[in-house]
Amino acid sequence: MMLARVADSLYWLGRYAERAEHVARLAGVMLNAMLDQTDAADEAARIALAAVGGRSAADFGEVLEAASTLSIDRDDPASVVSCLASARENARQVREQITTESWEQLNLLYLRTTGADAENAFSADAPEFLRRIIADLHQFKGAADATMSHGEGWRFMLAGVYVERAQLIARLLSAGFGGETGSDDHVALVNLLRMACALEPYLRAYTADINARSILEFLMFDEEFPRSIRFATERVQEHVARFSDGRERGRNDPLRLAGSLNARLAYADIDAVESGGADELLAGVEAGCEAINTAIFETFVSYPLEERLPT
Amino acid sequence: MFAPGGATRDHYQLLDQDIRALGTQALADRQTTLERSFLLQGITFTVYGAASTTERIIPTDLFPRIIPAAEWKHIEAGLTQRITAINLFLADIYGEQRILADGIVPRDLILGSPSYRRQMRHLYVPHEARVNVCGSDLIRGPDGAFYVLEDNLRVPSGVSYMLANRDAARRTFPSTFREARVRPVERYPDLLLATLRSMADDTRPNPQVVVLTPGVYNSAYYEHAYLARLMGVPLVEGRDLTIHDNRVYMRTTQGLRRVEVIYRRVDDDFTDPLAFRRDSSLGVAGLFNAYRAGQVMICNAPGTGVADDKAVYAFVPAIIRYYLDEEAILPNVETYLCREPAQLAYVLANLDKLVVKAVGASGGYGMLVGPHATAAKRLEFAEVLKADPANYIAQPTIQLSTAPCLANGRIESRHVDLRPFILCGDKIVVTPGALTRVALERGSLVVNSSQGGGSKDTWVLADPRAEVDGA
Repeated sequence: MMLARVADSLYWLGRYAERAEHVARLAGVMLNAMLDQTDAADEAARIALAAVGGRSAADFGEVLEAASTLSIDRDDPASVVSCLASARENARQVREQITTESWEQLNLLYLRTTGADAENAFSADAPEFLRRIIADLHQFKGAADATMSHGEGWRFMLAGVYVERAQLIARLLSAGFGGETGSDDHVALVNLLRMACALEPYLRAYTADINARSILEFLMFDEEFPRSIRFATERVQEHVARFSDGRERGRNDPLRLAGSLNARLAYADIDAVESGGADELLAGVEAGCEAINTAIFETFVSYPLEERLPT
Repeated sequence: MFAPGGATRDHYQLLDQDIRALGTQALADRQTTLERSFLLQGITFTVYGAASTTERIIPTDLFPRIIPAAEWKHIEAGLTQRITAINLFLADIYGEQRILADGIVPRDLILGSPSYRRQMRHLYVPHEARVNVCGSDLIRGPDGAFYVLEDNLRVPSGVSYMLANRDAARRTFPSTFREARVRPVERYPDLLLATLRSMADDTRPNPQVVVLTPGVYNSAYYEHAYLARLMGVPLVEGRDLTIHDNRVYMRTTQGLRRVEVIYRRVDDDFTDPLAFRRDSSLGVAGLFNAYRAGQVMICNAPGTGVADDKAVYAFVPAIIRYYLDEEAILPNVETYLCREPAQLAYVLANLDKLVVKAVGASGGYGMLVGPHATAAKRLEFAEVLKADPANYIAQPTIQLSTAPCLANGRIESRHVDLRPFILCGDKIVVTPGALTRVALERGSLVVNSSQGGGSKDTWVLADPRAEVDGA
């Protein structure tokens, strides 16, 4: 049992922390791709910008400018620093609920990336700036895991992390393989794996045979890789089940929605996806996550008071 | 720290050795580490600027101020006496009003005060304890004695800085801290919780306590979150609470849960828009009715502010005499009530020596510091005074005592005051420690954090013949 507002803030803390990490990785891969040929960099930028949502390379003069906007532009709500500021603001709202160890980790990261020196640090060594953000976010999550009670609040935070992750990976795959836009270029595929932090685990699972079909299979259905959609939806179901106490409440119950999304991924396979195209399933994941998000809010946070008076 | 003539006072000897051994560079380094740690923990207040919003730490000085056991014993007795009398006074003016009938305190001064809450009349409060948390401001005068400058009876803050400063000072001077036998302040959160629980209806075991905050944008938000965390109770905002059938509930993930004691860190005006200020969007409609019905406790009780009004302050020694038949152990600073014609005449004749304050205001508004004002300004203020004398009091300009501080890599003296914290529920507890507020500018007398003041730890030493109380 915890305050509804607090549960909501913890959930959004998880979402923003996850989003910050993902966008930092996209920007990092874009910058790294600039070291290769121009078309590889352009393709990486195209995918990354589409994956962040509704942007195209045409909005920016060059890849560096796009990466800089995605990283440190406070006026862009999708930028890494904006996500970090939102995560930290949510954490501050519930300061008494999270341990000092995890709070200090996040606060330190916020102060470093929004302080007066942040822009200079980015200009001086952008890849290192982004690498440290990702490493610090891992430390934050690690500190939360190691020091917070794994009770309701922690589960709301992790539900936020995994709802966000399932959505982000679905969007990344749509950008990479959706419609007619797919590329079989080796460098482009490697960059896509890097954007999901999946290159090394992929190589261990499929060897160095890098192809679109295997990447889709790995990032959609793998049961063990923490950034596959399947892995994320299973965690969402698990955490929602625990804070729902196993009870379902009607058709728009978050547990029911999470279970149905997870089942779709558990019973789909790559052959079916290949013949019908991944678009439909990926769109289904995005819509499913949105529905779970709304259902969590309506069930645990903004419920009508008259229904929930103590008996 | 130093006696006249320059010798180190006895109780500062250990610390003095420590400081000499460390050297100024090491001290400056520790100061930097400390400030960084405060920033990291989020022990900050928010400064709203035109271009951007920044968070600043409240400057903290490493040097603890030391108060020997005998001196503390005196302070403790004085504070206990004062809070006892003030709670009896509040019970009386919201009850039979004997003290007004007997003419000890003028009736119009109390009933006409904007802080007097008629709604509180004839309301039962457990242990007659309306002020549960008090943070009095004391100063040490030129004669070496402590005086009470102000009783903060509404929502006093600063206790989180006392605890954070202790943590820092103990790490800076570990061996001295051990040897000096400093009394612990770390039990404050559990003593606060016990005090709050003692205010609940004793037929219900384990009453649900919450801390009510105006929200994350309040300058003391850090402290609200800190106390909630250390007491292990929810930190709620007005929007988390709802009233049903005169009972208070908080909205949780599992439905509504009953709330029984509210440690509110919002002003009276913002607790309930129906009872107090209608344009407030912060409060909980119906909260006061639930309180009247005895279904929830609000701590401090609404209406305590009437007793820390600057004009009522002048009557506290008389109030102590009236209820306890004792003389005040801690004296007031001499105060002239401009509502009394004879005293007004004295004030007008001596404007260049006095500080004149509006009774209802705080934070330096509506104030004249005579010695620092121009003759024209004083003349102008005299007119204001004559037009509405009841609204003003005057006090001599007080020279605050000083303590050594670290400034620009050197040890210099700065003016300080002292804010101890007193808890009052089924019993009275004076925390053996305090927040020492420091005026950071050389020569400045302003210690308020909103105007560039800082703070430092305060070590209350154990009686050399007694065991140190358990930490």
